[in-house]
Amino acid sequence: MISSAPHDVCDLPDRGTTDSVRIAVVLVLVGLLAAGCGDGGRRDAASATATRLLTAVRDGDGATACRLLAPGTVSALERSADAPCAAAILDQDLPAPDAVRHVDVYGQWARVVHAGDTEFLAVFPGGWRVVAAGCQSRGERPYQCAVEGD
Amino acid sequence: MSGARRVLREHALGVVFGVLFVLALVGQGLAGHADFNQQQVTDGLLPVSLGRYLTSADFAVDVAENWQSEYLQFSLYILATVWLLQKGSPESKPLDQPGTESDKDQLVGAFARDDSPAWARTTGWRLHLLSNSLGLVMGGIFALSWLAQSIAGVAAFNERQLSHRQPPVSWAAYLTEPDFWNRTLQNWQSELLAVFSMVILSVYLRQRGSPESKPVGASHTSTGIEG
Repeated sequence: MISSAPHDVCDLPDRGTTDSVRIAVVLVLVGLLAAGCGDGGRRDAASATATRLLTAVRDGDGATACRLLAPGTVSALERSADAPCAAAILDQDLPAPDAVRHVDVYGQWARVVHAGDTEFLAVFPGGWRVVAAGCQSRGERPYQCAVEGD
Repeated sequence: MSGARRVLREHALGVVFGVLFVLALVGQGLAGHADFNQQQVTDGLLPVSLGRYLTSADFAVDVAENWQSEYLQFSLYILATVWLLQKGSPESKPLDQPGTESDKDQLVGAFARDDSPAWARTTGWRLHLLSNSLGLVMGGIFALSWLAQSIAGVAAFNERQLSHRQPPVSWAAYLTEPDFWNRTLQNWQSELLAVFSMVILSVYLRQRGSPESKPVGASHTSTGIEG
């Protein structure tokens, strides 16, 4: 019978219980690890990058702001503005930096929510880079963003 | 026959399936890593390392969703075959033996043998626990695997949400998402189909020498006989 498959746990309740607890611990740890638990450092890094972008734009430092953007976002911005990134980024009406309300990090992606603006970031060789900024929520639909990649 | 060869021969079923499991899991990890990186490149992102992928939500949810369905299948089968019968199937007990059977049939209490597990001679919770330990452990692993699927699943789902500039959802909200139930039910249906097929096909078909089959010459109506 299929139900008599080779599992010896039925013979040894103590060992079976121990095995099940071990498997349970491994599964839950894998799940929690995969879910991003313990990502405090990554959250802080994503939050800092997002805030630095808005700070650079407020200070008129377009070069620094563009170094914080993802490559695809720089290309899309220069194409749409028909101008170098360092100039174009200053014309995008991005809000001044304010307190970070919330940060979500899942795998290679992060969302940083400020009071009046949301930014989406992804991991690149130099760390977190802003893929989209000046984003406004539209409920279940994708955010509408002032600056974003393709 | 040397001691090692004898041990291997006597445990070949467990060893072979254990090795095949590890090989398949390694293969899934490698193929999943390649697939994940193809998607990364499509999204304009950099490929991730194998170690990073193996600790990612994508890998965890893909593993857990299959584990939970396998353990659900065995758990249901272990419990259902206590009471449910199928005429002609070697997967079924004889038609006159539904239920948990007598202590004499189950070799417990006064009917325990010298080589019976120690708790088979006890009464109360220890005997009850031993009597249901297989179903409890298999069912427990199912529940934990399903929980792990939901936890890893919401992380993988939210990673895709963010990549599409959409808001992430909570774990509780994810339990109502089509993604969770699609992953769950597509695995359940395949496991249940396999069990259904085994129950019915084993009535009419044979595999000589396999305990999963009736003896080749057994009638189609004989029930509860293993080859």
